[in-house]
Amino acid sequence: MSAMSETERRGRLPIADRAAMFRAVKRLVIEDKAAFGLVVLLYIAAAGAGAALPVMLGAVIDGIGTGWAASRVDMICGAIAACVVLQLVLMRTGRRLGYRLGERAAARLRESFIDRVLRLPLGTVERAGTGDLATRTSGDVGAVAELLRKTGPEVAVAIIELVVLTVAAFVVSPKLGVLFLVGVPMLVFAARRYVRLASPVFLSERAAMSEIAETLTASAAGAQTVAAYRMQDERGRAGYGRAGAHMDRLKGIIRLQTWFFPATDLTFLVPTVVVTIVGGLWYLEGWVSVGEVVAVAMLTLRLDGPVFRSMMSLSEFQMGGAAMARVEGVHLMPDEVREAAPAGAEVRLDDVTFGYGDGPDVLHGLSLHPRRGERLVVVGPSGAGKSTIARLVAGIDRPRRGAVTLGGAPVADVPLEELRRKVVLVTQEHYVFTATLRENLNLAAPEAGDDDLLAALATVDARWAADLGLDTMLGEEHHELNLAEAQQLALARVILADPDVVILDEATAGIDPGSAGNVEASLAAALDGRTVIAIAHQLQAAESADRIAVVQAGRIAEEGSHAELLAADGAYASLWKAWKGVPA
Amino acid sequence: MKPNPLRPPTLSPGDIPADPWRYLLYVARAHTGLVAAGFVGLSISGTAWILLPWAIAKIVDEVLVARDSGPLLQWSIVLVVVALGSSWVFVAGYRALFMAESHARVRTVRDLTDHLNRAGTGVRGAVSPGEMVNLSTEDAHKTGSFIFQLGFGWMGLVMLGVGTGILWNVHPALGATTAGGVLFIGFVVGPVLGRLQHHQIAYRSSVATLTGQAADVVGGLRVLRGVGGEQQFSQRYRAASADLREAGYGVATADSWVQGLRASLPLALIAAITWVGARLALTGTISVGELSAAFGMTALVAQHSGAMIGMAQSIIAAQVASRRLTAFFRTRSDIADDGTAAGARGALRDPESGLAVEEGLLTVIVSAEAKPAEAVMERLARYRESEAEWGEQRLDDLTLDEVRERVLLLREDYLFAQSLAATLRVEESKALAAIEAACAADVYSSLGSTLDGEITNGGRNLSGGQRQRLRLARALAADAETLLAVEPTSAVDAHTENLIAERVAAARAGRTTAVVTASPLWLARADRVAWLVDGKVRAVGTHAELSAQGEYRALTSRLES
Repeated sequence: MSAMSETERRGRLPIADRAAMFRAVKRLVIEDKAAFGLVVLLYIAAAGAGAALPVMLGAVIDGIGTGWAASRVDMICGAIAACVVLQLVLMRTGRRLGYRLGERAAARLRESFIDRVLRLPLGTVERAGTGDLATRTSGDVGAVAELLRKTGPEVAVAIIELVVLTVAAFVVSPKLGVLFLVGVPMLVFAARRYVRLASPVFLSERAAMSEIAETLTASAAGAQTVAAYRMQDERGRAGYGRAGAHMDRLKGIIRLQTWFFPATDLTFLVPTVVVTIVGGLWYLEGWVSVGEVVAVAMLTLRLDGPVFRSMMSLSEFQMGGAAMARVEGVHLMPDEVREAAPAGAEVRLDDVTFGYGDGPDVLHGLSLHPRRGERLVVVGPSGAGKSTIARLVAGIDRPRRGAVTLGGAPVADVPLEELRRKVVLVTQEHYVFTATLRENLNLAAPEAGDDDLLAALATVDARWAADLGLDTMLGEEHHELNLAEAQQLALARVILADPDVVILDEATAGIDPGSAGNVEASLAAALDGRTVIAIAHQLQAAESADRIAVVQAGRIAEEGSHAELLAADGAYASLWKAWKGVPA
Repeated sequence: MKPNPLRPPTLSPGDIPADPWRYLLYVARAHTGLVAAGFVGLSISGTAWILLPWAIAKIVDEVLVARDSGPLLQWSIVLVVVALGSSWVFVAGYRALFMAESHARVRTVRDLTDHLNRAGTGVRGAVSPGEMVNLSTEDAHKTGSFIFQLGFGWMGLVMLGVGTGILWNVHPALGATTAGGVLFIGFVVGPVLGRLQHHQIAYRSSVATLTGQAADVVGGLRVLRGVGGEQQFSQRYRAASADLREAGYGVATADSWVQGLRASLPLALIAAITWVGARLALTGTISVGELSAAFGMTALVAQHSGAMIGMAQSIIAAQVASRRLTAFFRTRSDIADDGTAAGARGALRDPESGLAVEEGLLTVIVSAEAKPAEAVMERLARYRESEAEWGEQRLDDLTLDEVRERVLLLREDYLFAQSLAATLRVEESKALAAIEAACAADVYSSLGSTLDGEITNGGRNLSGGQRQRLRLARALAADAETLLAVEPTSAVDAHTENLIAERVAAARAGRTTAVVTASPLWLARADRVAWLVDGKVRAVGTHAELSAQGEYRALTSRLES
C-alpha cells in the first residue's frame, strides 16, 4: 500500500502492482472457469495430436527396419491421418472457445472499468489530469482486450505445444528426451534478456507513433491557422521531425531483434544438431533405435513454430500486461467516503483558504454567505479566484482551512447523489455527449418526459432544438452544436435537474449578444426561488442581482447591491464604468 | 532545397498515385536496394532451412543405417553450417526488409505532412481527428508492412521450390505430393480469409464505436458527476460492449477456422508425405533417411506456407489502408489558388452582406448573431469562395499568397505545441509588446516568465481566457496590414477588455482593422460601426449615430438590461 500512497501524493492515478494483477487475472479465470478448463484441455489434446506425427514416423521407420508388412504401415499411416483430422477439430474448437472466452473476459474488464470511472471522484481525476484517464480508456482498454482475446490464447497455445512436444520426446526415448532439453537454458536466457530490454524499446516506439499522430492531428485541426500564419514550413518540419524520431525508435527495435532472432533460432537448432549427432553415436552404441533418433530430431524441428510465436508475443504480452496494470489501477482508488447529511440547502463559505495541489493559496480567508433564494453575482477580474469559489461550493475541492458548508455539512462530504439534487455547477466548459439530444438532456432527470425536455429548452431560448428534434444524434461526427447551443443545452440540464442551489460560472459567455439577455432573463425566471450564484467577468447579470460580491486577489473586496456599490465608488464602480464603456 | 519561407510549398499532387494498388507499389519502390537485399537474404536462408532435414537424412543414411561413424564428422559440419547459416542470413534479410518497411512508414508520414500543407484548409471537415490518427499510424504501418510480408511470402515460395526440387529428385511422387499439397493449402485457406475479413470490418467499427463511447464518458465526466446520468451511460456502454462481444464471436467463428487450418493443413500434408514415403521406403525405392528428409522438409515448407497465408492477409489489409490513404491524398484545397494579380488597395468589400472595411480605419461589426458576421469575415479573408473585392479587384483574382500575407483573420485559432516564442513568431521585443497589448502577461508568467515556456497541443495548459488572449497576441505580433477579428475578447473581464481595446486601437492606428463584437468598449473606439441584421448591413455610421436606433441600442448598450 506504500506504493499506492506515493501515487496518491503525486496526484496520479494508481497502477496495479503484480499482486493486484494476479488477483485480476485470477478473477477473470474463475468467473469463467468451466470454459477456461475446457479450452486448456482442448489445446493440450490438439497439441498431442500434432506431436503424434513425428512419434509415429519413428515407429514406421523402426517397423520398416524390422520388416513390417504393407498393411501394418498403412494402418499406422491411417492412424496419423486420423490424428490430423482430430487435431483440426480440437484446434478449431479450442481456438473458437478460447477466442470467445477472451472476448467475454475483455468485455467484463472494460465494463467494470467504465463503471469504476463513472464513480471516480472528480477532484482525483482532475488532479491526475484527464489525459491519463483518457489514455487508459482509449488505448489501454483496447490493448487488454487484444491481450485477452488474441495474444493470450496464442501464447497459451504455443506454451502448451512446447510442453507437449517435450513430453512426446521423453515418451519416445527418455535418453534422447534429455538431449531435447539442451535448448532450454538458451531459451530462458534469451527470453529474460528480451523481456528486460524489449519493453522500453517498444514503448518508446509506440510513444513516437503517438507523437506522430498528435502532430499530424494538430496540423489537420489547425489547418486554418496554418494557412493564416503561413506555418506550412514549421508544420512540415514538425511532421518530418516526428517521422525521423520514429525512424530512430524503429532502428532500436531492429537492433534488439538482430541478436534476439538468432538466439531464438538456436534454442531449437542446437537440440536438432545435438539430437542428430549424439543420437547417431548412441545408436552406434546400440542405446537407441534409428526410428527414435529420427522421431526426436523431427520433434525438435517442430519446436520452431511455438518457440517463435511465444517469443514474438513476449513483448506484446508484456505491454498488454502493463496496459492491464493501468486499467486495473483505477480499481485501487479508494471510494470517496461522503457521509455528511446536510440540513437544508444553505451555502456558507467561512474563512476559506484554498490552493490547488502544492501551489500557493488562491483564496485567502474568504467568507461568503449567499442567502436562500437570493441571486448573488460574483464579479472580479480574471484570476481573482471566482471559479475556485464555484468548485468549492460544488464540492469538487476541499478548502485547506476554513469551511464550505451546505446545510451545515461540509460540501465535499455530502454524498454525491444528494449533493447534486441540491447543488449544480454549470461552467464555461460545456460537454456535448455523442448521443441523442434527449440522452444529452435527461441525464439529470431520467424520468422527465419529452414535454419537460422541450419546455426546458424553450426556457433557455434554444430555438434550434425544436428544429432538430429530440432524437437527433449530437457530437462531432453527427450534428455538432456550436458553443452557444452547447451552453443552452447545459442550462436546460440545470432546469431539468431543478436543484436548490445553482452556480453559473460564466455559463452564458458564449451565447450571442442578441440572445444572452433573453436567456438570462428566462433562466432567472425558471430558477426563481433557487439560490443562484452567478460568476461573471462581464457585468450583464450584475445590475439585476440581489447582491454583488466583488472578488479581488482571493478576497471579497466589496459586497452589496448594485446601487450600494456604485455609491461606494470602489472597485465595482470602476469595473462598471469600464464595462459600460464610459471613457475614462 | 530550403523552401522560401514566404511561400507555402506548392507540391505537385501528381506525385502520389491515386490508385490504392499503385500507391502500394509507390511505397515499395522507395527503397528498392533494401527490398532486393531482403529478398536475396530470405531466399538464401529459406534454402538453408530446407537443407537442414536433408543433412539430417544424410547422417541417418550414411552413418546410422550404414553403421559407419566415418562420414559423421563431415555431415555434422554441414549440419552445423546450414543451421547457423539459415539463422544468421535470415536476420540479415529480415533486417533489410524491416528497414525498407520503416522507411516506407516514414515516407507515408512525410507525405501526409506535405499533403496537409498542400490541401490546406481543404482538410477542414474532410478528416476527423480519429481518422488522422489512423492514417498516420495504423494505415502507414499496414502499407509499409506489406513489403515485409511479401518478403516472407517469397521466402515460403523459395522453400517450396527448393524442397519440391530435392524431393522430386528422390522420387517424383514425393515432390508432386509436397508441391500439390502446399498449393492446395493456399487455395483452401484463401476463401476462408474473405469471410474473416468481412467479420473483421464489422468488428473494427464496433471497437471504434465502443472506444468512442468510453472516451465520451471520460470527456464528459464532469457533467456526469455534476448532474447525473452515470447509470444511463453505464447501460449504454454495456450495450455497446455486448455488441462488440457478439461481433467478436463472429470473428471467432471465422478466425478459429483459419487458425485451425493453419495448424492442421501442414500436418495433413506431412501425414500424406509420410504415407507415400513409407510405402516407397517399404519397397526399398527410397532410403529411411530419405523418408525422414521428406518428412522434415515437408514440415518446414508447410509451416512456412503460413507466411504465404499471412501475405494474403496483409495484402488485403494493406489495400484497405492504402485506399484510405489515397482517399485522403485526393482531398484538395477548398480555396482556388489561381489568381495572379497583386498589389490591391482600398476597402475590402463583401457584396453578399454589403459590408465594406475601409482602409486604415477601425471598423466594428455588430450583429445579434455571431455566425453571419463570422461568415462575412471568412469571405473577406478568403476562407470561403465569394465575390468579395479588395478595392477595384476581386479577391479571388489576387494570388492567395498575397491575401494570406496581407489579411489576417483572427478567431478560435489553433494553438500548437511549441514555445511561446515560436507561437508568437516574432523577435523578443515585438513578442513582449504583443503580449502587453493583448493583456496576456499572465500567460507569460504562467509559463515561467520566459518566451521559452512551452504551450501544449491546443493550448490545453492554459485557461480558456488565456488561450483567447494568446491568440490575440499572436495576431497582433503578425502585424498584418488588415486584421479581421471575431469576438477577440469574449472571455475576458471588463477591465481587461477595456485595456485590450485601448491598446489594440493604439497599436493598429492607421491600419485596417475590423472587429466583430457588440461590446461598448470596442464601439467607443470604432471609427466606423457596421450593424448587421440577418447577415446584411442595415446601417453604417459612428456608434453615436447608430445609437439613435432603439434596436441597435438594445444590442450594444448595457444600460438597457
